[in-house]
Amino acid sequence: MKPVLKKYTLTIVSAVSIAASLLWLFGLGWTLQDQFTANEKFEQPKEKTESATSKKEDGKLTIFALGDSLTRGTGDADGKGYTGYLSDLLKEKSEQDINLFNTAIKGETSRGLLNQIQQGEIQRQAKQADVVVMTIGGNDLFQQGAVLESLDMNAINGKKQIYLRNVNNIYKQLRELNGDAVIYHVGLYNPFSNLPDAKTTSSVVRDWNFETAETAAEYENIVYVPTFDLFQLQVENYLYSDQFHPNKEGYKLIAERVASLITFEQKGDES
Amino acid sequence: MSNIPALEVENLTKKIKRKLIIKGVSFTLYPGEVFGFLGPNGAGKTTTIRMIVGLISPTSGTIKIGGKNVRTEFTEAMRHLGCIVENPELYPYLTGWENLEHFANMDSSIPKSRLQEVVALVGLSNRIHDRVSTYSLGMRQRLGIAQALLGKPKVLILDEPTNGLDPAGIREMREFIRTLAREENLSVLVSSHLLSEIQLMCDRVAIISKGAVIRTDSVQNLLAEQERVIWKAEPLSLAKEILERETEVQEGLDGTLITLYDEPLLPEWNEKLVQAGVKVKEMRTQLPSLEDLFLEVTGGESID
Amino acid sequence: MINLVRNEMLKLLRKKRLYVIALIIAFLVPLFTYAQFKEIQDQREKMGTQDWRTVLQQEITDTQNRLSSSRIQDEWRKYLKIRLSQQQYYLENDIDPRAPGAPTFMRIFVENSIDLLLPLLVMVIVADLVSSEASGGTIKLLLTRPVKRWRILLSKYLAMLLSVSFIVLSVAVLSYGISGLVFGYGGWNMPLLTGFAVSGDELLTDNVHIVPQWQYILMEFGLVWYVCVIVGTLTFMLSVLLRSTAAVMGIMLASLIAGAILVNMVSSWESAKYFFMVNLNLTNYVSGMATPIEGMSLGFSMAVLAVWGLAGFIIAFVTFSKRDIY
Repeated sequence: MKPVLKKYTLTIVSAVSIAASLLWLFGLGWTLQDQFTANEKFEQPKEKTESATSKKEDGKLTIFALGDSLTRGTGDADGKGYTGYLSDLLKEKSEQDINLFNTAIKGETSRGLLNQIQQGEIQRQAKQADVVVMTIGGNDLFQQGAVLESLDMNAINGKKQIYLRNVNNIYKQLRELNGDAVIYHVGLYNPFSNLPDAKTTSSVVRDWNFETAETAAEYENIVYVPTFDLFQLQVENYLYSDQFHPNKEGYKLIAERVASLITFEQKGDES
Repeated sequence: MSNIPALEVENLTKKIKRKLIIKGVSFTLYPGEVFGFLGPNGAGKTTTIRMIVGLISPTSGTIKIGGKNVRTEFTEAMRHLGCIVENPELYPYLTGWENLEHFANMDSSIPKSRLQEVVALVGLSNRIHDRVSTYSLGMRQRLGIAQALLGKPKVLILDEPTNGLDPAGIREMREFIRTLAREENLSVLVSSHLLSEIQLMCDRVAIISKGAVIRTDSVQNLLAEQERVIWKAEPLSLAKEILERETEVQEGLDGTLITLYDEPLLPEWNEKLVQAGVKVKEMRTQLPSLEDLFLEVTGGESID
Repeated sequence: MINLVRNEMLKLLRKKRLYVIALIIAFLVPLFTYAQFKEIQDQREKMGTQDWRTVLQQEITDTQNRLSSSRIQDEWRKYLKIRLSQQQYYLENDIDPRAPGAPTFMRIFVENSIDLLLPLLVMVIVADLVSSEASGGTIKLLLTRPVKRWRILLSKYLAMLLSVSFIVLSVAVLSYGISGLVFGYGGWNMPLLTGFAVSGDELLTDNVHIVPQWQYILMEFGLVWYVCVIVGTLTFMLSVLLRSTAAVMGIMLASLIAGAILVNMVSSWESAKYFFMVNLNLTNYVSGMATPIEGMSLGFSMAVLAVWGLAGFIIAFVTFSKRDIY
């Protein structure tokens, strides 16, 4: 390097550094002003959600899954759950790409789900869905097995009424959001059917399922999918080590049952 | 020689951890003289010099450079000072020219044209735009002097200026320093542990040992005072007897006698010896080296 | 004074440190750009969709699932809760917090480098600013000029400030320029939320407001600069106190890394919040992340840093003007 060039480098670097100092100092001042002075009440950013929703991705089947740990897939060694196997099966059958949105939360009760579907993004996804699958009620009824230990019929009935009211609202909301998609509500099985009290617990679950199915029947295109029979005989083979959630095989059974219904419906749509 | 001192050091002391390192050093430099600062390593030369240039603050005492007190009028005092303390340590990653520019920038009274002048003065014009890391020790030494001369100082302080130079370099440096003092009327303070150097370079010398100045005088005076006469005579014992009546006599190693040099009395002593039948074979005067002098004043403290 | 600062800048430039720093950044940015690119790609593959809302919703669901597990620590739970409400806020208001684009990359890069990478780079420049003069012996020539000592040190300090600004600018320019090749150069006007405050378990959104990304970035760079200046000042002080550049670097390195470790484990040792090194993550306050120790806030951290910086500054100047140079 020639000395002249070096001299310019020095001047340029110094000038740039001074300018940068002023810029950063300004940024720092702005931060202080911004963070420490109370800002006028936060104006809600414009609701752009509406415009963002309408685009559906063509050529893809969109499954929207919601509910509790069953939909989440708790107990499945592969972590897929019935929704995972379901989309695998559907992909095979329909040779379509499947979009699966799983918003299920472990331990979700019917009340929790009702709250969750008030959220904008959940609603937006619900609108996009071609198929909705859900499980709910297990946590209302079993509460990790505690309620069934006492088998207090009054308590169970009370819970059932609350649950039914919530489910009804959930159905209503979903229908309002999306009038076209078929909703598959996957029913409850009795995880305790190999225990001494099996007779009583089974009757409680059956009753619970029946009432839910009745509620579902009041809406168009809501299919209540029974699973009680799947787990009735060999429950220990299909349960995870917690003796409550299904294992991989159990989830596959559920997925196959739901898958068969969807294929039928799709065909029906096409014809 | 003018009588206004260029550098005045008065009763300088330095205490480090309750230990008195410098015990009241005083001396004065006049314009145009080269002043030697002589002492063994660890005598306090460097500490004293660092106090003069303001690197170390003295515990007590005053230092005036060109009449300005280093403590109270630091910047004014420093304007009159140029120095190299120990090795000329310059920025190796800059060129010689950039080094000079760097130091010239620190004193607004130095005009740009001064840079060319000092470069020419120390004879570095050819290599001045090369990086200092490529310089030889001698070139660095010269660049060091160039930076010391930038501000046209009244006092130049050189700590061990010939350290690490080859004999030719030493001679060159010596002549250069003498020229500076003569032509620019500069006072130069040179510290060294090499007696021969000081003897050849300096007008006056301060001998420092264990933190105190033992003597300050002109080189000639110091040497003259110690001039001796060496006698070779037979019989030795008789000669000694006669001379002892007149003056102090020492016995030399190889059968000689040594007396002080006292010019007017010398013929008289000689005559007395001859009258007493002593054969005076040889009579010569001898100038002692500073080395001997040094050994004498410091009481045999070793010097390297 | 201008001449003195000019001298210091000349020495800095000739030592080629600034270039080395710029090179380090130029080398690291593509690395992180690639990592970011991979992450986005991975997400797209996993979700089978490019819609960020789905991704964000998935994150929310994941967070909720983690929260419902009983085995997680309280600290972690708190963090997750804050994250959750913030994510939901973004979603409800249709704001994509990770929209790809060079400005976004810039922002993420600087948020992640504020507590370690940038302080380290600053340290590399500042560590030998004074100590190299002492160990090289040039300090003797520097201090025997007709200039008072504090002015010499001040010129060095100013040169330090300038080079810190230069480093931060290089980070900005290089991260924008290089990542833009992959992500595109747009996205300056994207709205972002700031003003989150954390009080106990709750995320306070009283003061939450929207700023365009360019302002957000400018604000974050202001904070980054502030942190770098403080770290620079402390390094500067050590550089005055110690002759050995290696010792300066060692001490700074140890405290910075100790800070990075401490942040993750001091939540129950409350007085640790007065260490400068646990307060470096200023950008977290702007983006609304959990603080390492209860009771820390932007104002608190900035004040702690200011006190440390001021102390370092004073110590440096007092020692330098009084010290005997041997």
